[in-house]
Amino acid sequence: MIEVSGLTVRYGGVTSLDDMSLTFQVGTCGLIGPNGAGKTTFFNVLSGFVRPAAGTVRAFGDDLLAMAHFRRARWGVRRTFQTEQAISELSVFDNVAMVHEHSRLGGSSRRKDVLDAISFVGLDADPDVQVRTLGAGQRRLVEVARAVVGRPKLVLLDEPAAGLPDEETSHLGDVIRRIPEHTQALTILVDHDMSLVSACCETTAVLDFGKLIASGPTAAVLRNDDVIRAYLGVA
Amino acid sequence: MPAWSDFEPFIVSGLALGGVYALSGVGLVVLYRATGVLYLAFGAVGAMGALIAWSLTQAGTPGWVSWLVCVAFAAAVTLAYGTVFGPALAGRDPLVKAVATIGLTLVLYGAMDLLWTTSGGEARSLTLPTDNSGFSVGQILVNWTQVIALAAGVVITVATGAFLRYTKLGTAMRAMANDRVITATLGVPVRRVEAAAWLGCGVLAGIAGLLLADLVALDATTLTFLVISSLAAVLIARLRSIALAFAAAIAIGLIHDLLTPITSLTNYRDMTPFVLAAIALLVLSRRRVMTQSREEA
Amino acid sequence: MRRRVAVARRPAIIAVLLLFALFGLPALLSLYYIDALTQVAVYSMVAAALGVLAGRVGLISLGQVAVLAVGAWVAARLLFATTQPYPVILVEAGLITMVAGMLIGLPALRLRGLYLALITLMLAGAITVILASLNFPNGGHGFSGYNGALVNIPPIRRPSIASGDPAYYRYSVIIAAIMFLLVLAHIRTRPGRAWAAIRQSEPAALAAGINTTLYKLWALALASFITGVAGGVLAGAVHYLYSIDFPTQNSIILLAVVLMGGVYSLWGAVVAAVLYQFLPALLQNWGVSADWLTILFGIGVLQVLTTAPAGLADQVPKDLAKLGRLLLRLTRRPQPAEPAAAVPTETSGVSGGGGAA
Repeated sequence: MIEVSGLTVRYGGVTSLDDMSLTFQVGTCGLIGPNGAGKTTFFNVLSGFVRPAAGTVRAFGDDLLAMAHFRRARWGVRRTFQTEQAISELSVFDNVAMVHEHSRLGGSSRRKDVLDAISFVGLDADPDVQVRTLGAGQRRLVEVARAVVGRPKLVLLDEPAAGLPDEETSHLGDVIRRIPEHTQALTILVDHDMSLVSACCETTAVLDFGKLIASGPTAAVLRNDDVIRAYLGVA
Repeated sequence: MPAWSDFEPFIVSGLALGGVYALSGVGLVVLYRATGVLYLAFGAVGAMGALIAWSLTQAGTPGWVSWLVCVAFAAAVTLAYGTVFGPALAGRDPLVKAVATIGLTLVLYGAMDLLWTTSGGEARSLTLPTDNSGFSVGQILVNWTQVIALAAGVVITVATGAFLRYTKLGTAMRAMANDRVITATLGVPVRRVEAAAWLGCGVLAGIAGLLLADLVALDATTLTFLVISSLAAVLIARLRSIALAFAAAIAIGLIHDLLTPITSLTNYRDMTPFVLAAIALLVLSRRRVMTQSREEA
Repeated sequence: MRRRVAVARRPAIIAVLLLFALFGLPALLSLYYIDALTQVAVYSMVAAALGVLAGRVGLISLGQVAVLAVGAWVAARLLFATTQPYPVILVEAGLITMVAGMLIGLPALRLRGLYLALITLMLAGAITVILASLNFPNGGHGFSGYNGALVNIPPIRRPSIASGDPAYYRYSVIIAAIMFLLVLAHIRTRPGRAWAAIRQSEPAALAAGINTTLYKLWALALASFITGVAGGVLAGAVHYLYSIDFPTQNSIILLAVVLMGGVYSLWGAVVAAVLYQFLPALLQNWGVSADWLTILFGIGVLQVLTTAPAGLADQVPKDLAKLGRLLLRLTRRPQPAEPAAAVPTETSGVSGGGGAA
C-alpha cells in the first residue's frame, strides 16, 4: 500500500502537483488526466528525480522520499518512461538484468529471473541481441521486463502503449494485467488509452492541473462528470 | 605586501582588461542565448583579425582601415561559421555545438601559426594611437586606450541590455533563447535573428581582438586562449545574465592585474579566471534540483 | 553465429598486430620514427582515457594533457627521489593522478555537460600555470624536486631492461597494451554496461538502480589512472620535462584527434595517437609545417560532429577510423559468405550488429 500525503511540487512558478493526497491499494491503479496534469511529475517524485516542496510518501511502511533515487530501484521501485528508454547498445538480457545487477539480488538467480521476466512479457527475441535491432513494440516489452524482474514492490508504467499499434497494445494490456499476481507489486498505470486503463486497473485516480479531482473504481471514475469536463472542457 | 601606490597602475590596467572581458562576455552570452552555441573561437577570430590589421599596418595601410578590416574579418568569419554550421548542428546538445567551435578555433590557430610564424621572429606589437595620449588621475597615469576598453565594456553591456529589452530584434533573440521552435512558429524569422546574433558577436570579437592585442600582447596563442577569462565570467553568469557577466569580467580583470605586484602570488595570477569560476560554480550549484527527466508532466 | 566467429578471430589479429608493432616496426623504421612511435604509445593511452570519458560516459575533458603533465610530474619526482623499480613508479603515478582526478572531479560531476567541459578547460589552464611556476623535477630536493640553479640536469631514468630507445619503445607498447586491457575489462563487465545506460539516459540508469555518480567517478578514476601511467611512460621517454611541453592547446588538439579517431573504440585511440604524434613527425621530416595538421584537425572536428547521427558519444567513427577498419578487414582471411544483413531489421530474432571494441 502506498500512502501519498499532501504532495506538492513547484517549479519555475508552476505548481505541477498541488497538495495531492491519495492511498493506493495493492493491485493495479490507473492514473489519468489531461496533458500537463502532473502525472509524470508524480512518477518523477516517486523515482526521485524531482524533490517535492511538501508532502510525504509512505510505501509499504517505508519513507520513500528519504531514499536516494538510485536506491529506490533496489528497494523495489520500477519504472518505464513515456519515450521508451531501453538501452540500445546492450543486449536484451543485459537490459533486463540491469536492475538485478545493481541491487542486492543474488547473482545465482540472475539468469533465471531475467529469462523468466523476458518470457513473462512474451518477448519473442534472442536475449543476446542488441536492443537497437528490435522494433518499437519489442523495445517496450524489454522495458516492461526490466520493470518486473526480481522482486519489485512498485511498478510505474508511464504511457507504455504510446505509439504502439492495436495488437501490441492489447498484448501489453494482457501483460500488465498479470503483473500484480506475478510479482505481488503495486502497479500504477498512466495512460490516455481509456480502454487499456479500464481493462487493467481496478481503481483509477484523476489529476487535473496538479490536483486530484477523482479516485475510486475505474468504471465510476470514467463516468464522473468532473473527469469528463477536465478532458473535454466545459460544454 | 606592496604599498598602495604599487597597486594603483594595476587598478587602471585591470579595469581596462576587465572592460574587454566584459565586452567579450556579453558577445558570448547573447550568442549563446540566441543560438545555444558557446563560441569558443571568439578569441581566435579576434586574434587573427588583429594579426591581419598588424600586417596591413606594416604594409602601410592607414590605421583605421586596418582596424576596420580586423573587425570586418572577425564578423565575416563568425557569420560564415554561424550560417554554415548553425543549422547543421541546430538540434544538438550545447556541448556538441561548443566543441564544434573548437574545430573553427583549430583551423584559425593553425592558419595563424602558418602565416605569422613566431619562431625566430621578434615579438610583434599592435599599438593604437590612443596609447600615447592620456591623463592623470592623482598619481595614476591613464591612457586613452584603457579608457576606451573600459568604456566599451560598459557601453556594450548597457546597450545590449537595452537592445534585448526594447527592440524587436532583441526581443526575438530573448524568445529564441527560451524556445527556438516555438519562436519560429510565431513567425519570427529565426534564421535572420540568429544571423544578427552571429554578426554582432563577430563584431565584438574583432573589437576585443584589437584591444587585447594592444593591452596584452599580439600573439596568436595568448589572444586565442585569453577567451578563457571571458568564458570564466560567462560561466559565473550561468550563461544567462549579461549584467552578471559584466561584473564577473571586471572582477577577473581587476583581480588578475592587482595580483601582479604581490610577489608571492604574481606567478599564479593567470589562475584567477579558473579559481573564480570554480568557486562560483560550486557555490551556485549546491541546491540543484536533480536530473530533469526528459518528459513533461 | 557470425558475431561469435568474428570475435574469435579478433584476438588472433590483435596478437599479430601487437607482435608486428613490437618487433617488426623497430626493424623497419629509423630511430627518429621509433621515438615518434613511443609517443604514439603514450598518447594512445591518453586517447583511450579520453575515449572512456567522452565515449562511454559522455564527459568531455578539455584538459587531459594537463592531467598527463601531472602524471609525468609525479613519476619524475618519484623516479628522482626513490630507487623503486619502474613498474612500481608507474602504478604509483597512476594512483596519485587518479586520486587527484577524483578529488577535483567529484564536485564537478554535479555540473551539466557544457559546464563540466569548461571547468576542465579552466582546470587545465590552472595546472599549466602551477607547473610553469613549480617546474618539473630535475633532480633537485624538496617537495618540488626542482633546483633552478642546477647546471647539469640529470635525465629521468628508464627501467634497466629498457634503457635504449627501441627497447623503451617496446616497453611503452606493452604498457599501453596492458592499459587497453584494463579498459576492455571495464567495458565488457558491469561498469561498461552501467556507462552505456548512463550515456543513453541518466534517468533510465537511475531508475534501474545505477548509482550514476559512482559510475561517473569510476570512469574518471580509470581515465585519470591511465593518463597518470601514460605520464610516467612519457617521463622516461623524453628524459627531460618542461612545462612548455604541455600547453593548453594540446588538450584541445588531443580532443580533436580523439573525436576524429572515434571516441567509442580502442582502435580509435590508436588512430588518434597516430594522428597526434606520428603524422607531425612525418611532416617534420618532409619539411612541411605541422600547422597544416592543426588546420586539418579543426576541419576533422567539424566534419565528425556534423555527420555524427546522435550525441558525441554515439557517433559512428568515420573517415580514418573506417579506413583503418577497412584495412584491417582486408588483412583478415576471407570469411564465409555472410548474410546480407548487418543491417538491423525490424523483425525479431535476427542477430546482428557486431559489438563495439
